[in-house]
Amino acid sequence: MSTASVTALPDGRLKNPGAGLLTLDPVHTALLHGLDDLLTGLADRLAAPEVVGPPLLSVAGLARLDFFRNFPHLGVSAGRFAPDALDGLAAGESPGELPLRPTGHLLPSATCYGLLLSLEGTDVGDEGLRLSATGRCFRNETHYDGLRRLWGFHMREVLYLGTKDGAVDHLDRGSAFVLETAGRLGLDLTRATADDPFYDRGGSRAKLMALDPVKHEFSAPDGTAIASVNRHRNFFGERLDIRAGSHGPAYSACVAFGVERWVHAMILAHGTAERALDRLRAART
Amino acid sequence: MERIAAWLHEKNPGLDGPVDKDEDLIEARLIDSMDFVEFVELLEEISGSSIDLQEVTIDDFRTLGRVEQRFLTPSGTAAAATAAG
Repeated sequence: MSTASVTALPDGRLKNPGAGLLTLDPVHTALLHGLDDLLTGLADRLAAPEVVGPPLLSVAGLARLDFFRNFPHLGVSAGRFAPDALDGLAAGESPGELPLRPTGHLLPSATCYGLLLSLEGTDVGDEGLRLSATGRCFRNETHYDGLRRLWGFHMREVLYLGTKDGAVDHLDRGSAFVLETAGRLGLDLTRATADDPFYDRGGSRAKLMALDPVKHEFSAPDGTAIASVNRHRNFFGERLDIRAGSHGPAYSACVAFGVERWVHAMILAHGTAERALDRLRAART
Repeated sequence: MERIAAWLHEKNPGLDGPVDKDEDLIEARLIDSMDFVEFVELLEEISGSSIDLQEVTIDDFRTLGRVEQRFLTPSGTAAAATAAG
């Protein structure tokens, strides 16, 4: 059997395992990895070293960051089968009907949470700190829609912690990178204030956010937000006791990319995944 | 203004001394996002008039000086009431 016959897909397609779940075919996968590579250029430009965040986040840590107050609907929990279910499983009982026991952990809903929690109690110094990572993130959604809205997706982030002015500079440079990269890829993006899906839309946080937006998004012509710049003020610095040398609690900010959504935007702009891949390769040379 | 200062100190136990009239309360997170509505309610209680969040901007809450001018002085309160009306 030749290698080609092993790797060729039956009629070139892979079945989707369920709502919000996709297996990317080779062309889409090449797009995803190629785009993530290109987006890593922001980390290179800002001298942000690459790290790998944790695959699970503790609920205690997330509670300290008000995650459950703001986004109780988004959390995808990691459960394990209760010990008394194991015999049933081994005897062939349906796993979907057996009880799960909470592990005290959630799948990440954003890449920066894991990085921030890893910095608890540290001093990033007067000069501040940058980190970059791509993580697979998970969110319960009311509906799923192709590459635009997935149950699990890849999020690249470049995180900054340091001074108030440093955070502003980080977002300015991040925004410039987003527009410049989009230009190279032939993507037409619009920038707008984000309307995050806070659970309690009448709540304090949502009201303050409406009055003083801390998040801006860059969207493709069909309204799909593919990148965002986020100001956290000194919220995480205070909650996690992360200090910026003599400046007190660190201010933080991050630039985030939804990588599958960049794939979507590329196909939207260039017609097919193959043409999008050609354009990506041209942009990288 | 004393009640507002007391409220800020209650919400920020680590806060030492008086809050400067020009200090950016939002950016320094002296008014936490979780407490924002409570702060608005406090201003409504003190001023005796309601605040329509559709009719204000964040700058109206940003410093004690601005809060005083916008919500706690007669002309400012009147303007807010008119705007909210």
